[in-house]
Amino acid sequence: MSSTTVATARRPNLINSLFPSVVSGIVLGVIGAAIAGVIVNAATHGGNQDATVSAVFTGWLLFFFVGIGAFNGVVKWGFARRDATPAEELQLAGQGQGLWRYFRFTTDHKVVGMQYLATVLVLFFVGSMGAFLIRLEQSTPGAIYFNPATYNTIVGMHGILMIVAAIIMVSGPFGNFILPIMIGARDMAFPRLNALSYWLLFSAIPIFLSTLALGGFQTGWTGYAPLAVQGLTPGMDAYCFTIIVFGVSITLAAMNIVTTVLVMRTKGMTWGRLPIFVWGVVLSVILGLTAFPTFIMSQVMVLMDRVFQTSFFVASYGGSNWLYEHLFWFMGHPEVYVIALPAMAVAAEVTAVFTRKPLFGYRLLIGSLVGISVLSVIVWGHHLYLSGSENGLAAPFMLDTELISIPTGVFFLVLIGTLWRGRIWVTVPMLFVMGMLVNFVIGGITGIFLADLPTNEILHGGMFVTAHFHFTLVGSMVFGFFAGFYYWFPKMLGRRLDTTLGQFHFWLFEIGFLGTFLSLFYAGLLGEPRWSANIAPPFATANLIASLFTILIAASVFVLVYNVVITLVRGELATSNEWGAKTLEWTVPTPVPLENFEHLPEVKSLPYDYGSPVPAAERGVPATEGGVAGAPLQAKPQVES
Amino acid sequence: MSESNTDVNTGSAAPARKEPRHLRRALIIWAVLSVIGIAVWLVVAPFILPSADSTLDSTDDFTIVLLTVLAMPVAMFVFVFLGYSLFAFRVKDRPTEDGVPLQPRPSLQIGWLGITGALCLFLLIWGLFASYQETATASSNTLVVRVSGQQWLWSFDYPQYGVSSQSQVIELPVNRPVQFVVTSEDVLHGFAIRELGVRIDANPGEVTTTSVETPTKIGNYAVNCVELCGLYHSYMWEAVNVVDKASFNSWILSQGGHL
Repeated sequence: MSSTTVATARRPNLINSLFPSVVSGIVLGVIGAAIAGVIVNAATHGGNQDATVSAVFTGWLLFFFVGIGAFNGVVKWGFARRDATPAEELQLAGQGQGLWRYFRFTTDHKVVGMQYLATVLVLFFVGSMGAFLIRLEQSTPGAIYFNPATYNTIVGMHGILMIVAAIIMVSGPFGNFILPIMIGARDMAFPRLNALSYWLLFSAIPIFLSTLALGGFQTGWTGYAPLAVQGLTPGMDAYCFTIIVFGVSITLAAMNIVTTVLVMRTKGMTWGRLPIFVWGVVLSVILGLTAFPTFIMSQVMVLMDRVFQTSFFVASYGGSNWLYEHLFWFMGHPEVYVIALPAMAVAAEVTAVFTRKPLFGYRLLIGSLVGISVLSVIVWGHHLYLSGSENGLAAPFMLDTELISIPTGVFFLVLIGTLWRGRIWVTVPMLFVMGMLVNFVIGGITGIFLADLPTNEILHGGMFVTAHFHFTLVGSMVFGFFAGFYYWFPKMLGRRLDTTLGQFHFWLFEIGFLGTFLSLFYAGLLGEPRWSANIAPPFATANLIASLFTILIAASVFVLVYNVVITLVRGELATSNEWGAKTLEWTVPTPVPLENFEHLPEVKSLPYDYGSPVPAAERGVPATEGGVAGAPLQAKPQVES
Repeated sequence: MSESNTDVNTGSAAPARKEPRHLRRALIIWAVLSVIGIAVWLVVAPFILPSADSTLDSTDDFTIVLLTVLAMPVAMFVFVFLGYSLFAFRVKDRPTEDGVPLQPRPSLQIGWLGITGALCLFLLIWGLFASYQETATASSNTLVVRVSGQQWLWSFDYPQYGVSSQSQVIELPVNRPVQFVVTSEDVLHGFAIRELGVRIDANPGEVTTTSVETPTKIGNYAVNCVELCGLYHSYMWEAVNVVDKASFNSWILSQGGHL
């Protein structure tokens, strides 16, 4: 590392390390929220709860970002009309700040990636607790354990936490930590924007949790208006604000990732040599850029209906619930593919490494991912087959939805072709890819049932839908995330996760998952409606079985937590190329130094040239187990310049 | 090198030995399991699916059976090839040599796209055909039932009989076409009777008409709300009884209607 010693020149004291940081952010944020709340409450004579709550959230957001130092650069460099010096940039990137850099407005992409990873894991943990409460309530007919209001709030919170976590689970941690190294960059294109996108996400979490204190919300994660407008408690405002802030956060992150891949690729990293993971993330965030603005807009409109008594969605004053449904699903369905594309790409990446084979049709797979992202922009109408609005477009929507199964089929062809006659090394990441393939077939095929008009007619709005999207989002995409998690953990944290515990995690999760959601498919075929606190007696057995299998999933969650904690405390140190992979992130040392590469590498081939005539030893594939760390870097054909 | 469209690059493959014919074996297992799977599904389906008690629902249920039959070979293909690969190509430890660098032949790519494309086309045509079949026009003896959802109950009118039912039970005559005219007083509700294949959203400020359908069996069913409508959404069920013509007439009279 080129050594500039600015950070250590000044002796750090308590004030200097606390300001700016997340601590000062929270302190100022709370003060700002209180002031804004008091002012607006006085101005409206306490008559408009929703206005007060909105003011509190706005005050929190503004002052949180003042406190964490998001605007410091604007003052320092924007008004002073000079660029930051390299030394200042290194300090912003957290040089010499130890672990405290994870709690500051740090621009280093690896810090942001780790912040995202921690956040995703926490969101998954809290969200899964919601899931277990839901299964508890649904294990017996009647609303026994929770009253319906609490139940609806739990369902909605579970939904939002999980959807948010799933949207960022791959592009956040791995897209920030791994992707820039993979393309041979020293950081993201806009490092401070990168920090902003993470802290926006962070600042949305207290807003979201405040819904518990504000009476919860009754709409589930979809937030359908006019129910959302009617909602009497201000807990609904928390939902709207969360979505708006999260939407801005993910839009910034998406722009940043796209720009990074467009302009920051190292010499020789052509589009035809990009690792498939980079393709997956880029296509996903481009899709997100088209989808999320309507979601933000829909929540702004709901807030206006609630705070200013406009009537975008209130039928008696000329509004329409169909407007909300269209705005929502215009985001809602592409969003599923925003989640899916990077997770599918992770699976392909992992499969190539652990079969020691080139991807079976690299360009074919890129074509398939591009196809999915284009087609998925115009499928949202299939959520409205039974909405009662004019269904002249039902046929094109059905056609487009079913067309998506063609590129998805190509994904299966590529993965199975890659497995075929490989040297399949069944590690924990590979187990998760296998589980993903099994679950994704089931999830994909049941999607066809929902896409087809005659079957949708009896399955819409029912448990079948719930089971279907859990099979695709959890069984497929979260499994893809875990494949990436176990695969990149040694690179990111520098330690090896315990393999036996990892296998336990997988098998408990997979068996519990299949048991739970296959029984819910059955309940859905019988006609059980979704969102039910009080399940009807005919569906009791299927729900009880589902709830019992959930115990296995719960066990798997705690196995994972235990594994992560014990690995962080006393795990074995990982080597720099833990799995013998060929993408660039495995050529840099572990832990990765601040600017990743001493010299930027030059890329001369695809990272999947396994089985090529170049002798294995020369390409850095160790001849014996254990001889991993060595110097794969120097010997690789894709050496640094 | 890996970008070239090589079928099998024997250069670095394992030392030549008699390879079992993996592809043929896997294909045979796949074919056998697909046939077994379809057979099992056809036997089990009648027990899994609730009985279809209307003209509409029998089309819907048949579509479920048909789609599952089509899906069986597709799912089996993935399961079998995945399982076979794991069984045959697994290595115990970190692999010391690379796998065979296969690339798909153009014929395989085209064939795969062709088959999945044909399946899609079939799904589209079937879906349109079946939903077209379901849009019968109302005949002169069609019973019209006006349905209105509000938080958290359903109310039903029989305008042809002057009945406004506020009771928790409504009745429908068997073998007579019926059409529901659905709306909502407040927020979005979903009007559904699973066994009769009726399902449509109840929108505030809009009136939606279901397609005409005929209940074919006497029995007791439930109206469910299938769109989240707030606090007591999951309590929003009411009973629907399909009865013979005489009982229907006497029920109409008991509700204060005229024949």
